Amino acid sequence: MNDDRIQEGTTAWRPRVGGRIDILPAWHDLDEEGRREAFEETVALRKLEAALDPDGLSSTAHAVLDRIRRA
Amino acid sequence: MTNLDVHAAAIAAGDERAFARWLAGSEAPIRASLRSFAASVDTEAVLQETLLRVWQVAPRFEADGRDNGLLRLAIRIARNLAISETRRLRTRPIEPDDLERHLAEAMGPAGTSDPLLARLIAKCREKLPTKPAQALAARLESFGAASDAVLAERLGMQKNTFLQNFTRARRMLEQCLERGGVDIREAST
Repeated sequence: MNDDRIQEGTTAWRPRVGGRIDILPAWHDLDEEGRREAFEETVALRKLEAALDPDGLSSTAHAVLDRIRRA
Repeated sequence: MTNLDVHAAAIAAGDERAFARWLAGSEAPIRASLRSFAASVDTEAVLQETLLRVWQVAPRFEADGRDNGLLRLAIRIARNLAISETRRLRTRPIEPDDLERHLAEAMGPAGTSDPLLARLIAKCREKLPTKPAQALAARLESFGAASDAVLAERLGMQKNTFLQNFTRARRMLEQCLERGGVDIREAST
C-alpha cells in the first residue's frame, strides 16, 4: 500500500453530511491492510500532536471542540 | 490511571475547558478500543462522533462508584457506533465480543504531557527541509479543520505533492526522535 495514501488517512478532517461526521473519502481507497496501517499511523501522529500542544490535545480533540463551539 | 471523572461535574455543567482536559486523557484509550474495527470502519469518524455524543449525554451521566465511568461510557458508545457502522457498510460480520476485555485493554495507563518529548520533537522539526516542514505544519496547525486538498492549495502544492512531503516529514521526524532515544509508537504522551 502506498505510504502517501495511508498518510492521507491520518488526517482528523472529516466531511460533514447532514450534521453528522462522515467517512473520509480516501478511507474507501485503502484495502484492509492499508486501513490497519492508517490506524496505527494515526495513533502515532496523535501522540506527536498532543505532545506539541500546550494543552496536550490532538487534532482530533481540537476538531471535536471546534464542532462543539460552532454548535 | 488517573480518574478522569474529576472533570465530569464541570463537563455536565457545560464547561468546555473541563471537557478538553477530559479529552486529553481519554482520547487514546477510546481510540485503542476501536483497534479491532480498523479494517472495517473509519475509526477517526467514529471516534469524533463518539466524543460529540459524550459531550451531549454528559449532563445525564451518573457515576457508578468506579473510576472513569465517563470513559467507560465513551468506550461503549464508540463500540456500539463502530458495530452499527460495520453493519451499515457490510464490511464484515460482527463476532460476539467481550466488552469488558476490550475495556480493560483500552484503559491502560493514561499519559500526561512530557515537556522533554515536546522539546525533542520541536528540535527535530527544526531540522526538516522546507517543503516537508511546511506540509507537517499545515496539518498540525489546521487541527482537523481543513482537508488535505485545501491545505495543499494553501501551500501552492498539488495534493499528491503535499502528501509526499507530509509522509517524508513524518518519516524524518520519527527517525530523528529515534536517534534521540524516543520511539513515538511506544511512548505514552
